[in-house]
Amino acid sequence: MDFAEITATPIDVTSVCRRVVPPECGATVTLDGYARRFTRDKTSGDVRETKYLVYEAYEPMAIKEMEKLIAAAKEQFAISHVGIVHRTGKLEIGETSVVISVAAPHRRPAFEACEWLIKELKRTVPIWKKEVYADGEEWVETDAAA
Amino acid sequence: MTVKVLFFGATAEVAGTRLLEIQTPDITAQGLTTKIVNEHPELARHKLLFSVNEEYVPGDTQLRDGDQLGIFTAVSGG
Repeated sequence: MDFAEITATPIDVTSVCRRVVPPECGATVTLDGYARRFTRDKTSGDVRETKYLVYEAYEPMAIKEMEKLIAAAKEQFAISHVGIVHRTGKLEIGETSVVISVAAPHRRPAFEACEWLIKELKRTVPIWKKEVYADGEEWVETDAAA
Repeated sequence: MTVKVLFFGATAEVAGTRLLEIQTPDITAQGLTTKIVNEHPELARHKLLFSVNEEYVPGDTQLRDGDQLGIFTAVSGG
């Protein structure tokens, strides 16, 4: 009942986090990641305004990698169920780019697993983000190696 | 043998294509990636990752006929 999906259409967060409500669970922790308008540069402190984002995925590999993360999270944390949906294509500011929902009998492992999953997703899942600014655009390349 | 090379995001823009079919003698994943970087020197400015048949693999992985080599920059989903 776990799921890992890529979609080019807007994500309804509630329908993702309530799709599976296991009877042995008492909490679902859901990350709703969305497109940020203002980003402060960590070194210069300058604020840059994003107009919109474009996400691209290597879909079959991205789904496999997300499924691996779900399996690894279920080994490490006392959780019952994970659903991950990632958006592709053009996203306006405020639109949801990724949802990670973790259901568990008790909340603490769900919080921990959700944090671990987003950290690993950003490191290993083959999806790329292009930031489009008023004065240019760039494909973001994170520092962490897979 | 024939290998399909897939590009995404920044590497697709630099290569000017998303898919190349390359005829090659026996070669490793790293070896073919290096050849392609030599043809598109702008790729050398990026830290590149690669996959074979939708899996991350070590650079010394020997490519086989029909394999799909993915070449891409550090990922930035989320």
